[in-house]
Amino acid sequence: MKIALTGNPNSGKTTLFNAITGKIEKVGNWAGVTIDKKEGLIKNNLNLSGKDIIAVDLPGAYSMSPFTSEENITNEFVNNENPDVIINIVDATNLSRSLFFTSQLLELDIPVVVALNKSDLNVRKENVIDIKKLSAQLGCPVVETVSTKTSDNGLTELIKHAVSAVGKGQKPAFKAIDVDASNEKSVRAADVKRYDFVNTVVNAVEQRKTKSSNQNVQDAADRILANKWLGIPIFVGIMWLVFSISQTYVGPFIADILVGWIDGLTETVGGMLGESVSPILSALLLDGIIGGVGAVVGFLPLIMVLFFLLALLEDCGYMARVAVVMDRFFKKVGLSGKSIIPMVIGTGCAIPGVMATRTIKNERQRRTTAMLTPFMPCGAKIPVIALFAGVFFNDAAWVATSMYFVGIAIIIVGALIVVRITGEKNARSFFIMELPEYRFPSFKRAAISTLSRGKAFIIKAGTIILLCNAIVHIMQTFNWQLQVVAEGAENTSILASIGTPFAILLLPLGFGVWQLAAAAITGFIAKENVVGTLAVVYGITNFIDTEALELVDGASSVAGVMGLTSVAALAYLVFNLFTPPCFAAIGAMNSEMENKKWLWGGIAFQFGMGYVVSFFTYHVGTLITEGGFGQYFIQGLIPVSLMIGYVVYLMNKGNKVAEAKIKQTA
Amino acid sequence: MENTIFNKLIKRSTKSRSKNKNVNNLSKASINVEYNIKRIETTDKEMVNFLFTLGCYEGETVTVISKLADNFVISVKDARYSIDTDLAKAINI
Repeated sequence: MKIALTGNPNSGKTTLFNAITGKIEKVGNWAGVTIDKKEGLIKNNLNLSGKDIIAVDLPGAYSMSPFTSEENITNEFVNNENPDVIINIVDATNLSRSLFFTSQLLELDIPVVVALNKSDLNVRKENVIDIKKLSAQLGCPVVETVSTKTSDNGLTELIKHAVSAVGKGQKPAFKAIDVDASNEKSVRAADVKRYDFVNTVVNAVEQRKTKSSNQNVQDAADRILANKWLGIPIFVGIMWLVFSISQTYVGPFIADILVGWIDGLTETVGGMLGESVSPILSALLLDGIIGGVGAVVGFLPLIMVLFFLLALLEDCGYMARVAVVMDRFFKKVGLSGKSIIPMVIGTGCAIPGVMATRTIKNERQRRTTAMLTPFMPCGAKIPVIALFAGVFFNDAAWVATSMYFVGIAIIIVGALIVVRITGEKNARSFFIMELPEYRFPSFKRAAISTLSRGKAFIIKAGTIILLCNAIVHIMQTFNWQLQVVAEGAENTSILASIGTPFAILLLPLGFGVWQLAAAAITGFIAKENVVGTLAVVYGITNFIDTEALELVDGASSVAGVMGLTSVAALAYLVFNLFTPPCFAAIGAMNSEMENKKWLWGGIAFQFGMGYVVSFFTYHVGTLITEGGFGQYFIQGLIPVSLMIGYVVYLMNKGNKVAEAKIKQTA
Repeated sequence: MENTIFNKLIKRSTKSRSKNKNVNNLSKASINVEYNIKRIETTDKEMVNFLFTLGCYEGETVTVISKLADNFVISVKDARYSIDTDLAKAINI
């Protein structure tokens, strides 16, 4: 038996879905969190029918007409997959809008049960809805629910009604008559009648204590949080708070404990192996696997605290206000305020960030945002930043902060470039965003989502990263004849022979060394691999013990081992941070772009950007610190100039298209 | 003489009425006043249809709650939306 959950965006569908299936799908207090349908089995304690019931959580829709991709999914699902029952989740605080969709659903030949959700908010506002009357007017069962409560939430009754509704027909309360679906005016006239019907129903069943168009406390809060002058400082302050709590205070505190365990593990394993085990195996296990993975896992607490705080932020309803604040700045680069949300999420992980771009209606803006979101350093890049800050810059705070600002600068420049290349320099699009009610963030929900993200991170560390580290270790230990490489002759190993050609490309950037090239390549599989690979390749697992990166006495020796100047190290960091993201994130980009030209263009743009910015970092930095350009400056200038030249050419071509468009409409 | 005074009075009252006529779209609306939507003035059909599903169409009411930077917060059918100035200009009242 299949039940579909539909309703307006942000009405509580996913929360209800999680509650009845026991799953932990992503929830957030802004319209557009769910972008794909999700399925799950209804829990046994709610399902008393004896048969399996599958619940399908669909993205929010305001109506059956497909204007956005989310509404399309709902439309297609309902029309093609024939659910047995539809549970329409209606936001009890906004009957007058929600019932429009309800009346359309009632016209389908599928039984509908209405879940009047957020009824607790109505109680608080002292608005009363006559359930019996509403049910009579609509011609279907109506059950009050509070999907955020763990018990006494109306869910058992809801499922009971759903099960008993199966197989029964449905008499629509409002039927659109004489509608010519191909004639716009006719459809519109019918819809107006539909809204008239909804208005009549609402007037009959609802008693509101206060008019919703009156000012309330939340509006006053909005005037401060989304204020023209205060909005940005408040936003910056909140982000700074999120990062300092996760990276400076709570995160490292937990990390210390975790790292202590990893140390203990290394000793125990080392003890168990004893003297008789072959040094190759011992090195592989201790340095390669435990060391490499340990270097990464040590960061888990920092990243998880970051995820937790971002989840709280998403849950309270503030994100929509941030979009309002940032709108007037994003408009200047051809985007809208909605683009800030994927970027904020991207500071945790670029994958959900890129997927969040689906709420952006304008195709070019959506694709541009998807391409630019990975430039915000994600959680996986934090270990890389921390390693270099610790080894080369004495843990200075400016390193990490500047990387985020460079990311922001690249995003701005990138947006300006893309809007000109696509010839839409003068295009205008509207910005409209629903402002949900503020609510106190649920620590429980945030904790659940953090744990699921943390679990994914650990699994990734235990599988992909572990595998990569093992392979890298093997590749550097053996040469092509599968003989162990002698000490000091590492450059004959397999890894060196693969890394060297790439290293040549990187010479103009100041770090044309096969070890660093190899680390950068593994970074495409997972950015954390850069740290893991470096740890393996330089055998510095004794130094990178993430004992909170207070490299006790190893710093200078690590720097010496890598053979990089501080400037070159900074350039290498920039390179790894601003090149294309890990394959998983590229996969997310692929599903959002829906266009190969944009996808490859985006990846090329990301790679070019990383190369060019790294090039300038190295040479300008060397100019400042040593008074002359670095090595291979001229050789590097050639590809850099070619790339910049090509982009400028594309921009000019696009600008001409934009000019032509203006002349056309004039 | 009464005629001149009478004429002046009429002129004054029509002057203030024509001042109000300047509020023809939402970007010029006063805060906390409920207006009737006359029409949505734009060639973007998708936006007109989308606004309709929110309950924002000819004959329905809309209230401006706040003006934040270059955006307006409006109340349509028990929900709050933030719209930019361009969209506000398109909503004729």
